[in-house]
Amino acid sequence: MAETILFLGHTEAAGELSRITLEALGAAKSLAGERVVGLVGRETLHAAESIGSCGASRFLAVTGEPFSVSRYATDCAAAEAICRAAGATIVIAPHTSRWARSLPGVAQRLGGRADTHITGITSNGSSLQVARWFYRQRMEALLGRAQRPWILLLESGCRAAWQGDTAPVTLENIEVEITPALVRTTVTGKQAPRSELQTIRPDAALLFVAGAGWTKKQKDGAMHVGQAAELISRFLEVSQASLGSSKSLVDLSGEGHAVLPFLSHLNQVGQTGSTPRHPKGLATCCHGEEPHVVGWRFIQERRAVNLDPNCGWARGKADVLYVADAFEVMARVNALLEER
Amino acid sequence: MSERPSMDVDIVCVGFGPAMGGFLTTLAPALAELPSPPQVVCYERADGLGFGVSGVATRARGIRQSFPNLDPAQIPMAAPVGEEKIVYLLDPIGASRRPASLRLADRFTRRLANRELQAIELPGSPEFLHKTGGLVLSIGQFNQFVGEQLMMSGAVQLWPGVPVAEPLIEDRRVVGVRLAEQNGQPGMDIRAALTVIGDGPFGPVGRRIDETFGVPGGFERNEWAVGAKMVIDLPEGVALEPGTVFHTIGYPEPEIFGFLYVHPERMVSAGIFVPSWFANPVRTSYRYLQHFIQHPYLWRYLKGGRLRSWGAKSLLESGRRGEPWLVGDGYARIGEGSGSTNMLTGSGVDEAWTTGIQLAQGVIELLGERAPFTSENLERTYVARRRESWVEREGRIAENARDGFQSGFLKGMIGMGLAGITKGWFTIHQEPRPAAETLSSIEAYFSDRVPLKEIETIREQCRATGAPLHDVLMERSGWPPIPYDGQLLVTHQDALLVGGKVQATPGFADHVEFLRRELCETCLTQVCVEMCSGEAITRKEGGAPVFDREKCVHCGACLWNCSRAVDGRTNIEFRAGAGGLHSAEN
Amino acid sequence: MNIPYQIVVCGGVVPDPLQTLEPIATANGPALKNELLLPHVLDPWSAHALYEAAHLARRSAGSKVWLVSVAPKTKLQQVMMTIGQRVPLELVAIEGPASGFTDAADVAAALAAGIEGIAGLDQSRLLLFGGWESASRAAGATMQMVGERLGIIDQFQGVDELSVADDGALRILERIEGGQHQVSVCSGPPVLLGWATGNLPEPPNHPQIGMQNMRAIMPALQKARTAQISGGARFESVTLPKQQRATRIVKDKPVEEIAREIVTWVTAE
Repeated sequence: MAETILFLGHTEAAGELSRITLEALGAAKSLAGERVVGLVGRETLHAAESIGSCGASRFLAVTGEPFSVSRYATDCAAAEAICRAAGATIVIAPHTSRWARSLPGVAQRLGGRADTHITGITSNGSSLQVARWFYRQRMEALLGRAQRPWILLLESGCRAAWQGDTAPVTLENIEVEITPALVRTTVTGKQAPRSELQTIRPDAALLFVAGAGWTKKQKDGAMHVGQAAELISRFLEVSQASLGSSKSLVDLSGEGHAVLPFLSHLNQVGQTGSTPRHPKGLATCCHGEEPHVVGWRFIQERRAVNLDPNCGWARGKADVLYVADAFEVMARVNALLEER
Repeated sequence: MSERPSMDVDIVCVGFGPAMGGFLTTLAPALAELPSPPQVVCYERADGLGFGVSGVATRARGIRQSFPNLDPAQIPMAAPVGEEKIVYLLDPIGASRRPASLRLADRFTRRLANRELQAIELPGSPEFLHKTGGLVLSIGQFNQFVGEQLMMSGAVQLWPGVPVAEPLIEDRRVVGVRLAEQNGQPGMDIRAALTVIGDGPFGPVGRRIDETFGVPGGFERNEWAVGAKMVIDLPEGVALEPGTVFHTIGYPEPEIFGFLYVHPERMVSAGIFVPSWFANPVRTSYRYLQHFIQHPYLWRYLKGGRLRSWGAKSLLESGRRGEPWLVGDGYARIGEGSGSTNMLTGSGVDEAWTTGIQLAQGVIELLGERAPFTSENLERTYVARRRESWVEREGRIAENARDGFQSGFLKGMIGMGLAGITKGWFTIHQEPRPAAETLSSIEAYFSDRVPLKEIETIREQCRATGAPLHDVLMERSGWPPIPYDGQLLVTHQDALLVGGKVQATPGFADHVEFLRRELCETCLTQVCVEMCSGEAITRKEGGAPVFDREKCVHCGACLWNCSRAVDGRTNIEFRAGAGGLHSAEN
Repeated sequence: MNIPYQIVVCGGVVPDPLQTLEPIATANGPALKNELLLPHVLDPWSAHALYEAAHLARRSAGSKVWLVSVAPKTKLQQVMMTIGQRVPLELVAIEGPASGFTDAADVAAALAAGIEGIAGLDQSRLLLFGGWESASRAAGATMQMVGERLGIIDQFQGVDELSVADDGALRILERIEGGQHQVSVCSGPPVLLGWATGNLPEPPNHPQIGMQNMRAIMPALQKARTAQISGGARFESVTLPKQQRATRIVKDKPVEEIAREIVTWVTAE
């Protein structure tokens, strides 16, 4: 079956396309079939021209103020209109929070299917296969589908971003009627985490994971949560690392127990938390069993500090395991980083 | 703290084990026929039905009475008992502590034994040990099966994850139970006309009843064991027929008995019992279990296998001698905590289940008569049934059967054999002593293998790191280090995480407490640390040991493994607590 | 302004997170080895949704919470023994697989049918809750499809907070890129919220809630209808990650040396 491949992007605040969007375009370009570009945003011409040389046969857009914000109702209406106009059988889109919210609903409207969190696409002649993880990154599947249209949302970092010259394009504007029902929701802005929680740095080079061991009784039989909090926050300050934590540690904070004061559920990595992407990860006071490490699937270099030489990290989960007391090690690490 | 809430039900049950399974399975259908069925609620401490229990080979007489058409295929991991073997395991390492008499016997045995397997299968094992016609079960899976049937009946409610702190006693009458405090909120009082106590031998409700109402003359609970087991996925190509049962003796120490039960789908349960009469003060069940499964007789099957699940539990081995008052005004006791376990036949589940049936029959009779749950009425309807049953008859035979072990392995085996063959007419009677009295000091026990000075150094080092002494002392005594493979031979911490999936619900207080800390501070053995099945109790420099609730598997071993007995009790309190094992495969 | 909400929470069951999971191939597609032996829990994000629902229902007099679940009955029953003690709810049970390898679209159809079967649902009071993803399929796609089937087009995903203004408008915080939240205001129900973790702890057990719930939970389980749920996708393979790192274990080294090594590594480009 000849596929019509629609690359679907949305513009950012300044009208540009984000890196992950260009990565999805890179993936779309690698597939055989007729290629169409679809864009949504307040202003789309500039963005369309920036990828004008990508080889698409058509450039479609839904443009206007109601589409400047990330809102399910308007995003679905726009994406649905573009998909229909393009006659798309395969839709490739970046896994942004905006598309992740709306495109599964679009698949439902079109009688198709959506697969999210795609980490790889392979095209073998007429058959298309995608890779994605199940059970919170604990097993990886390769799958294909007969249903069309098939919407695929691609994770970041899976493909090289498309690079090419700006070129003029003929942009086909598709009208979407804005009924009152589409704008019952108003997007009022963005909110950063509370200042004392500003330890999540998605773009940081290093992920620092604090395990529950920090709040346990230490070898003198007492807990040293205050000292742990001080050591960790100092390290985050001097290293500019992002902070991750385990569910149990975060849960404790909701129970009024002695825990690290700057932790919230946003810091949670793994089972019910995020699967962040950082070049390096340093685990402290965490045992490193499989369920602890599922959130580490996309951390490239991994080191751990733990008192147990036989902990999970020692068995192929980390590149280096330091068998030592994290309190002592991190105190020295902080001192050395401060000296630099 | 806010005001204590209260709720009324008709029957409140504590602990969902095999005894309560038998009770509720018998009771539920009868309730449906009553014009206004009483409200029956059962609270279980563990976070799920079937967490924190064990695998068994049982004759299943009581279970089959409740489920006459039971098809084992309905219950995951169940199989009819097939081939049964009693195997004497020789010591292939030379580290086992065998008394001179046994060493001599071993010399002859070696000639008969398979040299490669270092074991001899005993011909013609005694009838009383057989489980013919019975079932190999995962009690975890079996309890879940029973729980499903009960819940679907709609006649009773089962609530796991709810520890019961204590009984409510008013005017020497039990009027219900009090649930454990959570998040600083006082536990609810559940008031009931009848309280059914099946919380096991170290359950806080049963123990408080004993403290309040006293115990019958001759009552003693000095014989215990920690049962530790693994559920193992056998490697490809290993052919062991489901239902096969091995009972082992002789290794890793003569005092430690072992078993291997084969479940369907290439799963086995392999485990050991470390008894209270074993004199070793660093008697770790986990380390011994690792040596046990590596014995050549078993390792030929298990090598290359993978740990699926792991767990540990204390067993009350005093049997009928540990029988408390079975009933009183407003309460009745069933199961292991009521002294039903038979240590001659090595059977507890069948007996426990049957005591549950007997109580249910009594309760149904009383409900029919509209008679109150008084001591007399429960005596007439429940205790009378129990006294006339095989549980009592066989319990009597077993009563003194294992006393010989108080003076050593061989004498114990002879005593057991005598009791079994003569149906209890002849026994080697010797009053069991509390664990605290049978324990050696570390210095005395290791005097022939480790110099005193070295013991002191080892103790100092372990105190600094909080670690138990057993690994170091065992290795100094000739036991080889464990060759960890990350699959089956894993560290104790991994057994907790990967095998037991141990977790603790937040909001509950520490349930293990060291009562007189000054006694712990001067205690040189600290058996509680050595015996702890979850490494939840650790040494502390200059003080009482430290307890970590999140690692506790609720095996209860610390309660009876304390060398600092005061006023007839150990220096440890074990209260109601949530959490522990999260595997339903044990 | 008090609105008596009708809060419908969609939530499946998943293996307890610490269990060892291994995929196997069956005639009906991939499955978990010994799936029925594994203890299950309410999907963690759905559980957060349920706790938020109960919290909101408590504050808005006259509100009611339903839990709609597609799962094997026996597993759902086990999970209800825990969840049933924590929040007052009415269960709508649908017999079906709990597997992550089922198709989100089919599960959505079954959930939507279950919701449509609730007598007396009023769109002007309806808040449809669920987890933004599951711990099994982790697609974050099912809820949108349920919403579409029910005609709800005010949808939010990765929600951490919902507050109700005096005029009944709903203020919603959704997780977006950069560790930030997007703030939106919707004039009122019906809305769909796929919850992230929210900010509430797990409620403690409450025996009275348990007693109350269980009277209706067992009949709901007994009359659970079976949903037709397919694999949908064509699975070529499902594998556990093989990547094992050659771990270098650094023992018996002074803290100073370890610290220096870590600092060199952390600061290297």
